[in-house]
Order: sequence, then C-alpha cells, then structure tokens
Amino acid sequence: MTSEKMEPQEDDGGMGRLLRERLPRHPAPPVLRAAVVEALMPERPRQPWWALWLPPAFSAVATAMIMLLFLAPSLPSAPGADPVHLVTRAVLAEYARSVFWGETRSDVVPVALPRAMEESGVALSWVFTGDEDIQLINAKPTYLEGRRGIELAYQDSAGHTVTYIIVPGGSVALPERGRVQIDRWRPVVRKENGFSLILWRQQGLLCVMVSDLVSDDDLARFKQYFVKVRSSTEPYAVY
Amino acid sequence: MADDEFRQQALQHLDALHNLAVYLTRNGSEAEDLVQETYVRAMRFSHRFQPGTHLRAWLFQILRNTFLTFYRLRERESALSEDGVPEGDAPMFHDAAGRDSESAGAHMDLDRALTRLPEEFKTPLLLAEVEGLALEDVARIMDCPVGTVKSRIFRAKERLRGYLKDYA
Repeated sequence: MTSEKMEPQEDDGGMGRLLRERLPRHPAPPVLRAAVVEALMPERPRQPWWALWLPPAFSAVATAMIMLLFLAPSLPSAPGADPVHLVTRAVLAEYARSVFWGETRSDVVPVALPRAMEESGVALSWVFTGDEDIQLINAKPTYLEGRRGIELAYQDSAGHTVTYIIVPGGSVALPERGRVQIDRWRPVVRKENGFSLILWRQQGLLCVMVSDLVSDDDLARFKQYFVKVRSSTEPYAVY
Repeated sequence: MADDEFRQQALQHLDALHNLAVYLTRNGSEAEDLVQETYVRAMRFSHRFQPGTHLRAWLFQILRNTFLTFYRLRERESALSEDGVPEGDAPMFHDAAGRDSESAGAHMDLDRALTRLPEEFKTPLLLAEVEGLALEDVARIMDCPVGTVKSRIFRAKERLRGYLKDYA
C-alpha cells in the first residue's frame, strides 16, 4: 500500500472540510488504550508444566457436585431475576449434570464439532482444540434459559473438566462488579456453589467458562485456560 | 519489521481506529471490542504485513473486515426508524458542552446524516476525508477499484448534502 496522503477533495462544495472540522472525533478511552497496550505486549514465557500442577481435590469437588445436585431444585427462583444470575445457575446445573453423569467422555471432536455448530446456531471461525495442559474432548449443542448455544468440554492434565458454553447474548449486560483483568480482557469472575465461572461477551454472544477449579492456585490455572480459549476461539452467531 | 517496532507503530493508530470503529458500530463498547479484536488479529497476522507498506491502511483494512464479519449482520437486523436511523441510537457527538447551540446543532445534524449512510459509502468517505488516506489505500481497504472509491465518496457527499438539507 502507498503511504502518501490524499489531498482533500476540492469538488465537494466544502463537504470534506465540513467533515474534517465539524465531525466529532472519538479518541480511544484510557481503558481501551491500556487493554491494547497489554495486548501488544510480547507474550510472557510460559510457566513450566510442573509449576501448574497441583493435586486436585477430587473428594471436595465430588461432594460439592452432589450437594449442588440435591440443592439446586430447592434454590429460590424468582421470576424476573438478574438474567446473568439465571444463566449462571443454568450453566452450573448443566456443568454438574455433565460431569456427574459422565457426559464429558471423549468424543470424536472433528465429527462432533461441525454437528454441534450446525445444530446450535453458534459457529466457530477459530477454536482452541488444546495443548499439553488442556484438551478439547467434546462439543455438543445445548439449551440454556431459552437460548440455543454450543457447549465445548475441555479436560486438563489433572482430570478437571472445564466447560465452555456460548449462547446468544441478547440484552444480557454483564455487571462491572466482579470484573477482573486477565491478560488483555476484563471478564466477570465468580465463584458459586463450589465452582468457578468466567463470563464475558464476545461478538454479541454470551460466553461462560465453568470449572471446579476454585482454590487460589486452581483459579490462577483456570484463568490461564481462559486466556488460551479466549485468544484462540472466535464464535459468531449464525442466525 | 521487528516485533517491537511493529507494536510501537501499530499503537500510534489507536485513536484513528477507534474513531472509525465508533462511526461504524454506533456503540461505544462495541467499538472498543472491535478495536481490541483488530489489534489481536493484527498481532496474529503480523507476519503477513509487508514492511515498508502502509501500516495504518493495513490496520484499517483489518478493522473493516472484522466489522463486516461480526457486526454487520446485527447492523442489518437492528430496527430502523422511518428516517433510516437505527432506533435508540443516540448521536455519538458528545463534546457540545460550552459551545453555542447552533454549532452543537450542526455537529448533531452531521452526525445523524452520517449515521444514515450505508457502510460502503461511509467508510471510504471517512477514510479519505477525515483520516486523509490516499485513494489507492482506501481502494485496497474497500477491496474495490479506485474509480469505485471516487464514485462512492462523491455519492456519499451528495447524500450527506441531501440529509443536511432535510434537517435544515
């Protein structure tokens, strides 16, 4: 591409000048500048795998899941409640159900993924399929709070299941409360019922990652998984 | 180009990219998302950038392509009021404080008029007239011949003039 600047058009009766002089300019806000600077920073060296490894608390997680299964039906459900809360609860229930009933068993991802995209109305132009820490093991359509979406199941090297659910975002607005800067993004991070959730909006879609990684060290690992998934997955609504 | 140099130079165009993103999306948070996505993609594909060519135009091209891929569908779906202005779209102009009402009105009219322009007209107009890009660069960004760019800019101005007369 050339780098020479264009002389303003002279045949427009002053329209070009009007645009240059009167049209408000919108400089990048400081928050965006900070995020972009962060995004442009060189990647930090990866931690060795053994530094990420911590013994998982299987019994505690299993107890939490069983408790959730028994308690979930009795939880209050007020009509007109916060839509983020409703989605969060639905995601947790779906996650617990999948893990408890072993529905996250490995499937043939190359087969499952196109089918899931076709049936869910959510397509992925890029998808994170895994690395030495975490692997994509299944994909399926899902239905949450009246929203059709896609559910991707990952499993890390310690056997933890991380579920990534993408549904149409509609008018659901994520609150400022609970936002945490992770790499170059500021998603909402929550802990509920013994599970961790990371929520964000992307291309008009509501994205939620949920896992049983709840301790401080585990949560740090969960955030790393988020960075991997967020930076390498590009969903968009087909309809 | 070294990575550091690429990053430094790319950052210099942040304000211009955000400005175009605001006029394309008509939504502050979506504009920020679009700009972030643009930089993420620019870094991902930085190896494809040819040193010595126009980085600013290359970034604008990525921004526009990202917009068309992810945002335009929703733009088409958004409800339009009778005069073609998306409903609920507040004018983006927000620096009227302290100015006289006539000047502020002119800003708002121009802003509203620009909102009514289709993207195919709005983008080349802004790139050429506001950002000062060469027509050849605009043509590359729009993926069309220079003659088409000239024609679209001309027609965009004609339309703007018509809209502004309506408001007057």
